[in-house]
Amino acid sequence: MADVKLSGVHKYYGNVHAVRGVDLTIADGEFAVLVGPSGCGKSTLLRTIAGLEDPDGGTIAIGGAVVNDLRPRERNIAMVFQNYALYPYLTVSENIAFGLRARKTPEIEIRKRVSEAAEMLGIGNFLQRYPRQLSGGQRQRVAIGRAIVRKADLFLFDEPLSNLDAQLRDEMRTEIKRLHHEITTTMIYVTHDQVEAMTLADRIVLLRDGNIEQQGAPLELFEQPRTGFVAGFLGSPSINLIPATFKTNGPEAGVVFQSGGELTLPSAKARPLASMNGREILVGIRPQHFSRAGGSLRDGVVSYSATADLIQPTGTRTFTTIKIGGVDAVAELQAHDVSSHGERIDLAIDLNRVVLIDPSSGLVIA
Amino acid sequence: MRVGKLPARKARILALRYLGAGVVTLLFLFPVYWLFMISFKTPDEIYHVPPLWIPGQIQFSNYYVLFKDGDVVAILNSLIVAGVSAFIAIILGTLCAYSLARFGTGGENLAMWIISQRMIPPIAVVFPVFLIYVYFGLVDGYFGLILLYTAFNLPYVIWMMRGYIVDVPLELEESALVDGLNRWEVIWKVVFPMVRPGLMATSVFTFVFAWNDFLFALVLTRTEVITFPVMLTHYFGGQSNFWAKIAAMSVLGTLPIFVAVSVMQRYLVRGISLGAVKG
Amino acid sequence: MTLSESINAAEQRRPSRFGRMFEDRLPYLIVAPAILILLLVGLFPLIYSLIVSFQRITMTENDTSFVGLLNYAELFRDTRLWASLGHTAIITAIALPLELLIGFLMAQLFIDRMPGRQIFVALLVLPTVISPIVAGATWRLMFDVRFGPIGQILSFFAGEPVRILWTVNPSYVYPAIIICEVWQWSPFMFLLLLAALSNVDQSQLEAAEIDGASYLRVLRAIVLPAIAPVIAVACLIRGLDLVRIFDIIWALTEGGPGSMTETISLYTYVQGFSQFETSYTAAISFLVIALLTVITTLVLKRMELAR
Repeated sequence: MADVKLSGVHKYYGNVHAVRGVDLTIADGEFAVLVGPSGCGKSTLLRTIAGLEDPDGGTIAIGGAVVNDLRPRERNIAMVFQNYALYPYLTVSENIAFGLRARKTPEIEIRKRVSEAAEMLGIGNFLQRYPRQLSGGQRQRVAIGRAIVRKADLFLFDEPLSNLDAQLRDEMRTEIKRLHHEITTTMIYVTHDQVEAMTLADRIVLLRDGNIEQQGAPLELFEQPRTGFVAGFLGSPSINLIPATFKTNGPEAGVVFQSGGELTLPSAKARPLASMNGREILVGIRPQHFSRAGGSLRDGVVSYSATADLIQPTGTRTFTTIKIGGVDAVAELQAHDVSSHGERIDLAIDLNRVVLIDPSSGLVIA
Repeated sequence: MRVGKLPARKARILALRYLGAGVVTLLFLFPVYWLFMISFKTPDEIYHVPPLWIPGQIQFSNYYVLFKDGDVVAILNSLIVAGVSAFIAIILGTLCAYSLARFGTGGENLAMWIISQRMIPPIAVVFPVFLIYVYFGLVDGYFGLILLYTAFNLPYVIWMMRGYIVDVPLELEESALVDGLNRWEVIWKVVFPMVRPGLMATSVFTFVFAWNDFLFALVLTRTEVITFPVMLTHYFGGQSNFWAKIAAMSVLGTLPIFVAVSVMQRYLVRGISLGAVKG
Repeated sequence: MTLSESINAAEQRRPSRFGRMFEDRLPYLIVAPAILILLLVGLFPLIYSLIVSFQRITMTENDTSFVGLLNYAELFRDTRLWASLGHTAIITAIALPLELLIGFLMAQLFIDRMPGRQIFVALLVLPTVISPIVAGATWRLMFDVRFGPIGQILSFFAGEPVRILWTVNPSYVYPAIIICEVWQWSPFMFLLLLAALSNVDQSQLEAAEIDGASYLRVLRAIVLPAIAPVIAVACLIRGLDLVRIFDIIWALTEGGPGSMTETISLYTYVQGFSQFETSYTAAISFLVIALLTVITTLVLKRMELAR
């Protein structure tokens, strides 16, 4: 069990500055997810923590001890790789025991731990098989088993689910979450999939171009993004960003779209912007904040009439493409809210949760 | 480029590896250096005791002698024989490989028989071939050597090109067929361009095998079509004052190979391992 | 004509009857020339020589009468033949493991990236691609007792003049041949093993590193099993080459002193082309083919089993 503390970590690959001075503290027992688009430095950061890459600057501490000069084997960590990295010439049980044998653990102890892990992961029947005889999901379990038996201080996962099909991915995601509940070791998990990040993390660390863009609890990042990038990265379908001009009119404040039409903002949203009359802004509206208008509108909810363009039913919900302020936007509606292309629909937009972004700095204003 | 400070341990290992690399390279290249250097030495320098490790000056008289005496004709012969046979083997071998790869002609058995032809020791083939060549008057002519080298290289070309052709996505050919090309056109306009890199590499290796061959050339040439390795051995019989010729001829005979192989370095591993290892 | 032009052209024509026949038989038509050449130059002479091996043709006599297995029986009494097979076996048994070992060590040295690696590899390949005759000639110059550098270097280390007639002295001819052979072909092993080692799954090595496995354990459990097929192929290719070794020995010792370094290929050559024992040489050829076939089959079987 250990906490992890990175300060000012840099990593270069030739001319590429892959990690640019990352400071990060992960508490003991925490499940942290490093997430971001490809090339953001998340895998590099993980490999640096593992000791597979040497940082070009900064310090890495595990359990309070600086480990920069320790080899991976000396850091007492366990890692699950994207392609599982199972040893093809060893059986499942030999694979799981490999790290223990390397550390000269007594054979009795090895057998006990292997069977415990196999039980926990439901792979007891495959122990004598070779990796190539297993399905993707089973291999994944073996890879996790190999990490569990080590009883390491720190678990690292490098995109462990990205080689699995969608259904298995959901299943294994749940298993990993349960695993963390059972063994409560500190875990650092790298993924590019925002759903994995949201569902698994105690804390999401969102990286962009080698820097931490924002970190915090999943819902905190989702509801209070600090930048337009964070707002755009989390959430599916993506948030709609509509260019507009901010306009105040006494106590009233609203946004005027470039193609005409305007929305009145709730006062809580408008207040920080009082002095910004005439400024260009991006209005971020999540697809989930649209609904079919009906009855009276709550405070901060405005009505908007639009024409349904593309309709994508998913079963429970229907994604509908509409035009707002001259740009395409996606509204997530109830399954039967809209039925045909070209249909005129009256929508309610919940502006209490709108995100207003300064287009020049990319920062969220309100 | 910004390089972070290497940990002392890593820096030490890297230094040791460079040292090792230097020593190994020196050991393996010294004989080549020696050969090269002798080709530039004057007779006095060659027969100097103790041996001189650096020639006093670079002079080309050893090469000049080869041209003056007409010995370079051996290089020319090698070029013709290796070049023509490589060309024929590539064309016929690739067509055959296409059929094996795409139509499974003859099944696994034909493919195995072809590669087993490669395993037959040259010495066991050359003797009966010699008997037959004597009968048909093919000894000491271009045709006989070219035919033999073509046959000797065909299994290699077929085996290698089959590997490259199998790697061409089938959809590409099917799409061309749907677009209205016939098979013959598909081979020339779709498959050949796709396997061009493999084709180039295989051609080079085919050329090199024929170029370097000694046994066939020794048996099947007399005076007219002497290839360069045979010419080289003719110098052995004499006194050591043929050293200059040996060295100069060796360098002339190695330069084309070195250039060709350097260009094809990317394919070297696949080429020399019959495709068993993809480098 | 570009591809799209020919597609357009193709659309506008219907295949002629001849074209259709041609296309239907295409798989066989394009195999035919290559197979024909292989039969003509590969199989036909072998059959011819099989017939000859049952006759009694020598330099002086052209006796084409059938003598049964006489020539083959002769093989068993021919001590020089068995000696030559022994010489071949000695060279193979020493050179092959040496080449494998040196090649492996070289590959280990160059497996990790380092600036300039490509240049080292390109230079180290040189011995392998030159003609074996050139390699032999080169080492003949190197070994020369008076004007070669080897003697000078040895003298330097010995502190006194060392005069070894490498290509003549019975104690040194085998070392000379093997040095030359190993020099030329270790880089071959090196290339194949380097490629094989680079293909070992990097994340398996990283996982083992995190697991804390020692170098030897990683070698035994991960690296060697992963490159075993390549080692097998490399040994097969080199083994077959070594069994038919001819050029290097011709250039270095010509089989001498006496027939001390005469390998099976050299002996066959002598029988066929200086003694003109036509029928007997044919019989030797078949013995060689039979031996190699057995060895190759055995090796391939072992490789199949190992999979």
